Amino acid sequence: MSLDSESLARRPSDGGVPARRAVTRWAWRLLRREWRQQSLVLALIAIAVAVTTVGVGVSTNTPLSPYVGFGNATDLATFSNYSTSTTAKIASWHQRFGATDVIENQSVTIPGSVEAFDLRSQNPHGPYGQPLLSLVSGHFPTNASQVAVTSGVATNFNLRVGSSWRELGVTRKVVGIVENPKNLLDEFALVNLGQVTSPNEVTVLFDASRIGKSSLGSNVITPASVAQNNVLNPQTISIVLVTMAMLLIGLVAIAGFTVIAQRRLRSIGMLGALGATDDHIKLVVRANGFFVGLVGAVLGFVVGFAAWLAYRPILQSSAHHVIGVFQLPWIVIVVAVVLAVAAAFFASTRPARAMTMISTVSALAGRPAPPKKLRRSAVPGIIFAVAAFFLLGAAGASGGNGIGPGEVVLGFVGLTVAVVLLSPFLLTVLDRFSRRAPLAIRMAMRDLARYRARSGSALGAISVGVLIAMVVIIASAARFGNVLDYAGPNVSSTQLLIYTPNGPYGPGGPGNSGNGGGGSSESIATMRRDAHDIAAALGSNKFVKLETTSATLQHAAPGRSYSGPLYVATPQLLKAFGIKMSTIKATTEILSMRPGFAGITKMQIVYGNYFANGGPNGAWPCPTSDCLANPSMQGTRALPAGTSAPNTVITEYAVHRLGLAPITSGWFVQTSTPFSAAQLTGARATAAADGLSIESKSTIPTSATIINWATLVGILLALGVLAMTIGLIRSETAADLRILSATGASTRTRRSLTAATAGALALVGAVVGTAAAYLAMVGFSRTSALDGLSSLGSVPVANLLAILIAMPLVASIVGWLAAWREPRGLSGQMIQ
Amino acid sequence: MSMLELRNVSKVYGEGTTEVDAISNIDLAVERGSLVAIMGPSGSGKSTLLTIAGSLEQPTTGDVMINGSNVVGMSRNDRARLRRRTIGYVFQDFNLLAGLTAVENVSLPLELDGISMKKARAQGMSALHELGLSDRAESFPDQLSGGERQRVAIARAVVGERSLLLADEPSGALDSVNGEAVMRMILTACHGGVAALVVTHDAKLASWADRVVFLRDGKAVDETLPPQRPEDLLSHDASNPSES
Repeated sequence: MSLDSESLARRPSDGGVPARRAVTRWAWRLLRREWRQQSLVLALIAIAVAVTTVGVGVSTNTPLSPYVGFGNATDLATFSNYSTSTTAKIASWHQRFGATDVIENQSVTIPGSVEAFDLRSQNPHGPYGQPLLSLVSGHFPTNASQVAVTSGVATNFNLRVGSSWRELGVTRKVVGIVENPKNLLDEFALVNLGQVTSPNEVTVLFDASRIGKSSLGSNVITPASVAQNNVLNPQTISIVLVTMAMLLIGLVAIAGFTVIAQRRLRSIGMLGALGATDDHIKLVVRANGFFVGLVGAVLGFVVGFAAWLAYRPILQSSAHHVIGVFQLPWIVIVVAVVLAVAAAFFASTRPARAMTMISTVSALAGRPAPPKKLRRSAVPGIIFAVAAFFLLGAAGASGGNGIGPGEVVLGFVGLTVAVVLLSPFLLTVLDRFSRRAPLAIRMAMRDLARYRARSGSALGAISVGVLIAMVVIIASAARFGNVLDYAGPNVSSTQLLIYTPNGPYGPGGPGNSGNGGGGSSESIATMRRDAHDIAAALGSNKFVKLETTSATLQHAAPGRSYSGPLYVATPQLLKAFGIKMSTIKATTEILSMRPGFAGITKMQIVYGNYFANGGPNGAWPCPTSDCLANPSMQGTRALPAGTSAPNTVITEYAVHRLGLAPITSGWFVQTSTPFSAAQLTGARATAAADGLSIESKSTIPTSATIINWATLVGILLALGVLAMTIGLIRSETAADLRILSATGASTRTRRSLTAATAGALALVGAVVGTAAAYLAMVGFSRTSALDGLSSLGSVPVANLLAILIAMPLVASIVGWLAAWREPRGLSGQMIQ
Repeated sequence: MSMLELRNVSKVYGEGTTEVDAISNIDLAVERGSLVAIMGPSGSGKSTLLTIAGSLEQPTTGDVMINGSNVVGMSRNDRARLRRRTIGYVFQDFNLLAGLTAVENVSLPLELDGISMKKARAQGMSALHELGLSDRAESFPDQLSGGERQRVAIARAVVGERSLLLADEPSGALDSVNGEAVMRMILTACHGGVAALVVTHDAKLASWADRVVFLRDGKAVDETLPPQRPEDLLSHDASNPSES
């Protein structure tokens, strides 16, 4: 059977679509057969996309979206109350835009409680406000004598469908239970239109998308204007993070695809012998990259979406609003998938090009290309590093103006490029330094330098991994190490704070600020009894009264200022934490457990009418009438560490000296075991009923949690890249190893070679990554008004040692153990 | 017109002190339908000659004419096209592509040349059928025996309209029975009009050739015309002391 002349005549000179289809099919088949060899890259991509899918789902759905108030509208106007002009404006909009939805709210305080709800009039079937209202049971009010309430309001007033409820002088029948599905914390009572007599907020929803917004007034917002004011939203942050992650994965993938291409060298040689063009050969490698990216991205999305489905109900209850199954930021997810595929594809282009540089004869013989000479100059890398330094400096300087993200991103991209460019150069430096080292180390360093086209990119990937981990570590250490603006968990899981309306957060409890007024001794006694009951119900073994004064601390120098409550060091409080009065100097005014706090200069206690008189004006020392400069401060480790706990206290000596009047602001409760969710719910309900508020452990991680995780991820990433690279380099030098063995070198020498290669790459990667991270942080901090260079004084020594010493050691040990068997040389490998 | 003609071909590797003459001033012609064997000791330049004849490498000097066209000076893509359409290779270790079935391996050169998958597959099945491998068409290389793999490789080398078959130790990895079967197939292809150039160490297999060319130190030192007994070829080859 021979081909017909028509088929022969129509053959395209480059093979056309049939040829491309054939080589693509082969690449796909090879991936199916040999996916295990690419499992690291596949796993990295899958994890990145899965984490992105769940992460952006959680991050964008956890806080209330700034767009939820819009419903179906494109424009939202808010008025604080009705006036003639407001009414006229709404009427004109109604006429101009065809339809408007007017939502009127009147805030009503729940009797005997600090909480409030809204009396709301809204058209349940309005064209724009419909998504903001849903019926749980019963029906919507249809006349002036009917009302529908949220479950919270129903609980507070002991209402159910059919109840009669008198509020604001009007008796209405409860006909339904409603909710705002976009915000389950939104507590309101829905009445018929026109029934809110004194609204303190009027929201108008409409669609003015066809005209210019400038003519509508400054109180009109659109989703676009909200987005403009919210540049650092979760979506933007996610896209930046996923771009960085894919950049790193791309670097890892370059080494991975090079390994795969080398393993397929003879097959690719045969393809060339069969008449494949350079484009076909490139297509084989690129198609492999594309398929790896696609499979990894799809797998990651499926896993991520499954995790999202599992986690959504939990998130829904904790975020207090209904979250749809498909309520995900799809743009970010699509960007992540596209980036994953693009990263893998572009990572494969370099090995693809390299394959075409190898002659068909060499490829058929399984001879890899001779080591490629790279430019040894460090100048381009240094230029990028300097540019990154100044860009990050610009970001630090502009941080106060709310700008900076662009400079931060550009700075880190520049730093990444610098690291990648400098890595091959550093390998030659390493080679030069090892010329007098023992044979195995000398050979290992020489191989790294010879094969630096590959080992350089691997070193770049290791360095970038360490860089990211170190930036997180240094930034966390700097932020958490700031003893003025104290960060971290508020209290431990066995501690609870119960606040009176006089507490540091005012009547609204945590989340508000400012002291309330005083309280009658009767009411304080009642609250103490209630708080004690809460503590007893929790099984408390420590119940400490907390007193505050009008005094707080201030730092009269640029940068961060003091944050946190300043409780009075009452004898009961000191005794509760095991502090003997005899250990406190008689003239000590401030006692703090914050490390190094006692040594900070330019501190001042401000009190009385300090803020009413204009507050800080830069004068030093501050006026003595309502300020005490350089108070005597003493450190102690006995006070609790939480940011909301009494970690810093003012002594009774200072209270008397400054003539301050302590008031009871709450109680500190401690138990021996962590509280259960049910206990906390019960405590919260009891406290709310008594006009108190509680504060339990927040989800803010500790400094150690963030830093240790970052260290672990950085080390694992670096070791993963190493595992792939070492295999490649040792495979390429298998012939040298055999010669070495033939000349009498022992297994020990071979193991030393691998261990030295792994250790050297890990060490240089760790040093370069750490140096680059400090360069970035110094660049940023030196111009930052908030955190100066001094913020870098908190050095995470243990984590630095883990990365700089333990990681290279682990790499060496694993390399030593893994090299027990001589690797098969490429030339000795059978293709089939 | 010869199917393959090498005119005064030389190949030099390396430069300066590392310069090595792999082959020197080789003249060789292979007619359509003829089988020429190349014999010689290791390092005599047999494989280099084959790769130059197959356009995988360019000679340092001389001309390589394939079907009347001079390969020297052709672009990489033109040479690739020439290989797709005219030249078939058979190697000692088969070099079948893992991941592709036997029939896909055979039809691959046609698909690379732009023939639709359906037509290329039909051609591939036909070639396998002629070599008695129809029932193994859907098997992957690692499911085939050594002899079957080499038969698939031969089918791939002769599929379509290709007229020049180059084989480098095609029976090197096979036992004598399979080795002879392979040579018989190559000979059958030659009877169909294909010109074949076979590099071999095996004098017995070389005796199947129409002509045997002996290489030593990159130079053609002798040519013998069959019919000739293998013993004579062996004694001829043994005159070279460096024979391995």
